[in-house]
Amino acid sequence: MRYAENGGYRGWSRALVVFILVVVVLSAVLGAAGAAVVPDMLGRPVAIPDRPLRVVSLAPSITETVYALGRGEWLVGVTAVCDYPPPARALAKVGGIAAPNLEQIVRLRPDLVFATAEGNSRNLLDQLERLGLATFALRPDSYWGVVESILAMGRALAAEPVARRVVEGIERRVRRVQDLVAGRSQPRVLYLIWTDPLIAAGAGTYLNDLLELAGGRNIVWERTGAYPRLNWEQVVARAPEVILLADHREDSERAETGSGHMPPEWHTWQAVPAIRTGRVLAVPSNTILRPGPRLGEGLTRLARAIHPGAFGRQEMP
Amino acid sequence: MSVQAAGRRAGASPAVVLMWLAAILAASLFVSVMVGSVSLTPREVLRGLFEGGSQDAAATIVRKIRLPRTLLAGIVGACLSLAGLGFQAISRNPLADPSVLGVSSGASFGLMVAVLLGIAGPTANPVLTTLFAFGGALLAAILVYAIARVDGRLPMTTLLLSGVIIGLFFTSCVMLATVVLAAAELQGVVFWLMGNLAPANAGTLLVLGVVLLVGVVVLTRQAPRLNLLALGEEQALQLGVEAERVKRFVFVAASLVTGAAISAAGSIGFVGLIVPHAARLLLGPDHRALVPTSVLLGAAFLILADLGARTVAAPTELPVGVITSFCGAPLFVYLLRRRRGAEAW
Repeated sequence: MRYAENGGYRGWSRALVVFILVVVVLSAVLGAAGAAVVPDMLGRPVAIPDRPLRVVSLAPSITETVYALGRGEWLVGVTAVCDYPPPARALAKVGGIAAPNLEQIVRLRPDLVFATAEGNSRNLLDQLERLGLATFALRPDSYWGVVESILAMGRALAAEPVARRVVEGIERRVRRVQDLVAGRSQPRVLYLIWTDPLIAAGAGTYLNDLLELAGGRNIVWERTGAYPRLNWEQVVARAPEVILLADHREDSERAETGSGHMPPEWHTWQAVPAIRTGRVLAVPSNTILRPGPRLGEGLTRLARAIHPGAFGRQEMP
Repeated sequence: MSVQAAGRRAGASPAVVLMWLAAILAASLFVSVMVGSVSLTPREVLRGLFEGGSQDAAATIVRKIRLPRTLLAGIVGACLSLAGLGFQAISRNPLADPSVLGVSSGASFGLMVAVLLGIAGPTANPVLTTLFAFGGALLAAILVYAIARVDGRLPMTTLLLSGVIIGLFFTSCVMLATVVLAAAELQGVVFWLMGNLAPANAGTLLVLGVVLLVGVVVLTRQAPRLNLLALGEEQALQLGVEAERVKRFVFVAASLVTGAAISAAGSIGFVGLIVPHAARLLLGPDHRALVPTSVLLGAAFLILADLGARTVAAPTELPVGVITSFCGAPLFVYLLRRRRGAEAW
């Protein structure tokens, strides 16, 4: 028994020595290139050079975060839908979120490409890896995933103190909203990303967390797909008291949350409480559908729509 | 081999088969209204069907969701099957159906034009949207017809090839528009084209019903001539059938029916292909019996497929095309194996 333990111990120590050697050699090699290794949110180690980086963003939320971290001048490429903050519009475009143009990305010679495991496909990440591009994946699939995405980007972009301040800003707004909606009854809420067909925010999403933080209860509680296509039968049976529609118009941020956007044919659904009582509201979508630094604003908009009585006139998002 | 002989060889008498199919259709209608992703007791369904105001959940589900949707699925299934039967008969090819001949893509293209002109959508006039889809379907059909025609005749191979080409062309037009224009309305079109049996309003159902009726009347009147056409164009000519005239009639009717189905429900695959085959395997090649058989069978098939699409992954809804292909393919293989050697085509 003891013999065996000894043998095992010797085996372990040998493994430890080898491991230390590998780490020393690896860090020497990477150190020579001036690189730090930061794990991304899929647990993959990403080597990041120690100098001003050329950064490509593959999602609007990432672009917003890079600017919020004070690294806007490092950005060399963004997607065609990255429109905030305004300087982002002037950057080179690498195509849409679903299928960005690989040639454009390569042409920009990025040191680091930020992608999101929620919007970009896993296939795209693999392709970027094969092209030898350091790709850092984020996974904002819950409220904490969003916070962690911002902190991880802070680590990758050598901006950790700023990242913590950005997160603190979001958390302040979350606490403010929580204080305002505390003690109020939680209405049943349906958040629709699309109205025909009905595509809703499902349980396994950060949107679900936002709806709960805003003092509502999401009527889609099953984990059957993050953004399920719903059937009217389910909507009637689950009787949402508030229906929120994502207002996708480009200038929607300037618009206010409004009730005049319900599709006219929905008047037939008088059995749905939200429609009967006129609580179908279009909410500007950019701060909500982008899991980035403006999420606190998005949460405030949602909470105002769900609990209008909890917010005074002066309480702007 | 005469048509009558083949009909006898295929088995049961048409009247008996039609009665069975009518019963199956009635049963599908009943089940589709009783069952959904929300479980309601039969008592609640019946109460919802006959009483209960506009604010009553059960009444809304039964009267405004299940019933119109079931009727829509039935009519669209019947339309697609009828169109498939017509196209298979005039091209004398078992692979012909609205999508193979490019007519579905043409209808989708017509719809997209309607959306771009701002006259489509759920609140739009159903007659107008149907007209646009029909226009697209007819345009595709005419192009296919014109390209395929050789010396005033319509050879099978060129017909199929030109159908595939025209179909791809119109599909790429639709895709180009959705990508280049990137208009928010067109994203809705993409969902629509994937097949979307959303609740239909009474106007849409009425237009579809009338179009289906027109299609049934035309194909029933042409059925005896289609039987002769099946013997080959030479023989049909000798027997006094103006083959080209018959083809033109059926082509236009089938395009109209396709356009109506697609304008209401997007493109739903497999129905137009397999239902006429299933009908033929049940009753043999006599088109006088095939027209009503395809209509009843297609209606029942799509109603049941849609029931699956609504309930299998509830509360998520599947595109109905997933179910039609998933169930249609094995059903088709079964029918094919069972009737092998009966030379049903």
